[in-house]
Amino acid sequence: MTASPGSRAGAAALRRMRIQEIALPLVVVALAVIGTILKGSIFFSTANLWNVLVQASVAGTVAVGMTFVIATGGIDLAVGSVLAAAAVIGGHYFHGLGSAGFMLGTVLAAVVFGAINGLAVAWLRIVPFVATLATLAAARGIAQQISHQTPVALYDLEALSRIGSLRVLGIPIPAIVFLVVVGLGWVLLNRTRYGRYVIAVGGNREAARIAGIRVRPILFSVYLLVGLCTGIASVLQTGQLASASPVVGLGLELDAIAAVVIGGTSLAGGRCTMLGTLFGVLTFALIFNLLTLMNVESQIQQILRGVIILGAVAVQRRDH
Amino acid sequence: MTYATRAVMCGVVLTAALSQPGCKKAEPPKPDDRAAPTEASKTTAPAAPAGGKIKIAFSAPSADHGWTGAISTNAKKQAAKYDDVEFSLTQAATAADQVNQLNTIVMQKPDVLVVLPQDETVTTAALAAMKAGIPVINVDREFSDPGAQRAVIKGDNYGVGFQAGLYFVDQLKCKGNVVEIQGIAGISVTNQRSKGFADAIAACKGGIKIIAQQPADFAPDKGLSVMQNILQAQPKIDAVYTHDDDMAQGVVQAIKNANRDKEMWLTGVGGSKAAMDQIKQGGLYRATFLYNPTMAASAVALARLLAKGQGLADLTEPVIPNLIVMQAQGVFKDNVDRYMAIGF
Amino acid sequence: MTALLEVRGLVKVYPGVTALAGVDLDVEAGEVHCLVGQNGAGKSTLIKCVSGAAVPTSGTIRLLGQPLGAGQPSAALAAGVATMYQELDLVADLSVAANIFLGHERRRGPLLDLRAMRREATALLTRLGHATLDPDARVAELRAADKQLVSMARALSRNVRLLIMDEPSAILDPPEVDALFDVVRRLTADGVGVIYISHRLDEIARIGDRITVLRDGATVASNLPATTSLDPLIQLMVGRSFGEVFPARAAPVGDVVLSVRGLRRHPDLAETSFEVRAGEILGVGGLVGAGRTELLRAIAGLDPVDGGEVRVRDRVLPPGRPDLAVAAGVGMAPEERKSQGLWLDWTQIRNVTISSLASLGRGPFTDAGAEQRAAATHLRSLVVRPDDPRRLASELSGGNQQKVVLARWLLHTSVVLLLDEPTRGVDVGAKADVYRVIAELAGRGLAIVMVSSELAELVGFCDRILVMREGAVVGELHGETATEELVLRHALRTAPQLEAR
Repeated sequence: MTASPGSRAGAAALRRMRIQEIALPLVVVALAVIGTILKGSIFFSTANLWNVLVQASVAGTVAVGMTFVIATGGIDLAVGSVLAAAAVIGGHYFHGLGSAGFMLGTVLAAVVFGAINGLAVAWLRIVPFVATLATLAAARGIAQQISHQTPVALYDLEALSRIGSLRVLGIPIPAIVFLVVVGLGWVLLNRTRYGRYVIAVGGNREAARIAGIRVRPILFSVYLLVGLCTGIASVLQTGQLASASPVVGLGLELDAIAAVVIGGTSLAGGRCTMLGTLFGVLTFALIFNLLTLMNVESQIQQILRGVIILGAVAVQRRDH
Repeated sequence: MTYATRAVMCGVVLTAALSQPGCKKAEPPKPDDRAAPTEASKTTAPAAPAGGKIKIAFSAPSADHGWTGAISTNAKKQAAKYDDVEFSLTQAATAADQVNQLNTIVMQKPDVLVVLPQDETVTTAALAAMKAGIPVINVDREFSDPGAQRAVIKGDNYGVGFQAGLYFVDQLKCKGNVVEIQGIAGISVTNQRSKGFADAIAACKGGIKIIAQQPADFAPDKGLSVMQNILQAQPKIDAVYTHDDDMAQGVVQAIKNANRDKEMWLTGVGGSKAAMDQIKQGGLYRATFLYNPTMAASAVALARLLAKGQGLADLTEPVIPNLIVMQAQGVFKDNVDRYMAIGF
Repeated sequence: MTALLEVRGLVKVYPGVTALAGVDLDVEAGEVHCLVGQNGAGKSTLIKCVSGAAVPTSGTIRLLGQPLGAGQPSAALAAGVATMYQELDLVADLSVAANIFLGHERRRGPLLDLRAMRREATALLTRLGHATLDPDARVAELRAADKQLVSMARALSRNVRLLIMDEPSAILDPPEVDALFDVVRRLTADGVGVIYISHRLDEIARIGDRITVLRDGATVASNLPATTSLDPLIQLMVGRSFGEVFPARAAPVGDVVLSVRGLRRHPDLAETSFEVRAGEILGVGGLVGAGRTELLRAIAGLDPVDGGEVRVRDRVLPPGRPDLAVAAGVGMAPEERKSQGLWLDWTQIRNVTISSLASLGRGPFTDAGAEQRAAATHLRSLVVRPDDPRRLASELSGGNQQKVVLARWLLHTSVVLLLDEPTRGVDVGAKADVYRVIAELAGRGLAIVMVSSELAELVGFCDRILVMREGAVVGELHGETATEELVLRHALRTAPQLEAR
């Protein structure tokens, strides 16, 4: 007896996957077309293209790391607070070491927060939602405390302050960094043993144990990874603002998570796509860009974001 | 939830709570060695404690950004100047939390209660305090019931917008493209600041046009990204009216990053130190209009006067006024030195 | 006189497997009718049909002459059929009285009538001979035997006519079993009919009136007197198995590859020691719950142990480290193939290569081409059908899915294979195929430990058989002298007292 019900299900899955895979890129294209029609060359120009990428760069860089976390079935709610805390720690303790020192300090601080999350989830067995919720509160408090609620001006760090204005080959630095991080993230997820183990642990933890994968180090490492990404994003944000402010990053976690989810990565773990995250980030950035260009009220933007999220999830819904 | 989870959660929550700046636990009330407090009313002041300290309780929103943080800091600093004041500060992230805190504070019987409410729903708690004989001083965001406070000290949101508008009319000579960056869309602060501005420029009969109006939630990073898009959309901008100095820093950066800082100029609201420094330097940041969190310090001073049954020095009446509105003073390069001291 | 329960020609077919192939059963009021049979003989399915939890494909069930509404547990309950499962359906945090009346509380108006429930609970417990049990006691704090009592009182409160008891003595000590029998006798004296399922054949003689034997989903003997002796019962349970072809195998000659000494974990595993040689297939038999899976998992490092040692080729495996076990060459094919053995949404290739990525890639990177080639080689050598390694694992039949798991360990060059019920859920035709593969692996020098519930499989295929019961190895049988009856007897007989308890 051939496995015909199985192969029919398989073919249908193939078809569904196609819809899921092209749905979001289609949305991005649609937005681009609408933008060009409505705003002509103001929208459809290299200047605006880079603009969109720059605006996507902070949330987008974080979303790359978040993809790994969600792929293991976990989540990191603390990224926004960590972004602020890392910037503030860099601004207060590493200011005297120049731009490079600041950047290193910021990234290091973010990685340390990531390690705390990772420890809580992997070894203390605390549910990721709860563990990172705690870090969200603590990190924001730490940011406020160290900074005394005042932003630290960083104009004197030359290289850092030029992040916002400098261009390489005409491309703004935040855009370059974002794209590079996405590229590296894609390679790590899809072309390395580590990435395969992450997907394995997220897809079926017990099967991963039985197959000989060490689950706890994997769970720990993804939080380190998102911490690293948050640190880089914090540098990008601080560079553009030329100041380390304790109130940045409010709501960043939702932006990053939403981008990852509409991109096709499953919150339950196992199914994940870096390309999807990229398109998710671009979708939200395009909406923001377009609606601001058209001076549409921000409420409309919020509604549209909600509609896109619902639509994306509906398309990805699988039959059981 | 496993035990480990609970333990860690408790530990972190405690740490976060205790690390809240200025979140001193309210001191236990001293034994009552004075006459019972008289029923507070708008006309009589409570008897000053003989030999004991004046207990002032301050209830503020939690420091979600520089301005609100400065409120708490200023209140504390002012109280520290007096040696006859016993000061306690509580902060709340939501109106509901604040109501709960106020109910607790009232039971500890402070001599005066100073409140900057999250929103109007806190009015009920203030009413209860007044009824319990504790006079309330309302800072900035007004209660919805006149019986809920003995005195109000506030900034002038409408006035800020109007003064800014007058400045724009004068500087632009009634002609130009203006971008408005608001705070949080929909709240009365924003509405008033926008309305004041709009009313002032109406005199130009359309000469000054608001070509873009977007909120940036009082956050510098949002100010940055919103302005980036607006810069992309608008090839010619003459001036930018922002609702907040902190937020304006992001707007400033966006303009500088796009190398368009010679094309336009910008104003803010509040009176932050960073803004005043930039105004003094000259260039992109031209002015800010005071909406200064020092009003919290003044509120504490008022509270002390109220408890001692005194009026404002240099004024004739021996009772404090029941409404003080801070002038939406414009701060420009030529007068910034006078206000540097109160920059937050 | 009409029988209390009359089941005729009951058939239940699930997709891919026939659970009941025509069962007849008669139970009289006031009798204790014992139901015996091997794992998979159909006892659970029969109970599900009678209690309304499953809908029979065909056949009739009559209670006091009236047909029982199929697939409606509430109808069965209303008709007086109550079931006591091994996992008692009690709510731990509620009181005894609350549990007894769960679902049919006594009310006064809209409020619960707690006093009435307490009174009635005490009355019911008195009927069962346990008036001293406090109706307000929290169920979580009761002994297992008392919890059972609550469950029976619950059945009584619904005016039970037919009580089905599934392995009630499994959680009881011998004195408690006596107490249980007293209670059962009280019930039957009241006219309640009892279906009593148990593997403890010695108890059947004490409490039962008649016996029905099930095998392969059908009744092979009914209305036997409870005094029937053990041997004929076992023979009936085992019967003649339909032709399963076991490949011919050479006698194993290799060195000892796997050595287990003193492995134990309270309360699932008593001190266990044995050795397996290269090329040997060691079967592990016993009833469900005997500790066989726990044994394999302990060897594989998946569960922690209280003591003991596992050596693979004379290298000690650190306990609780499944990654090190795999690295040392131990491969496990778990019982739950779909939920623990495979990633169903992955391709076969990825399922096969997951444990060997280090050797297939370049540095930290994966090499898709090398993966495909290596996986395809092994999948083909095990004759996985259809021959398309890029198909998802979910699209394969049970037997082929099993081969994918085996292919993984083959690619990984394992030296020990721990197989947990490898032919479960595999249809008869494919089973021979799986046996061939396992035999081939043994032929290549792997040491194989195979847990199985199928006696024919154990006896016909394995070189040696360990029989487990209640966490301990109670017997070791050798290929030529092993018979299915012997295995079952070891599995059913009470194990000698063990110090660990």
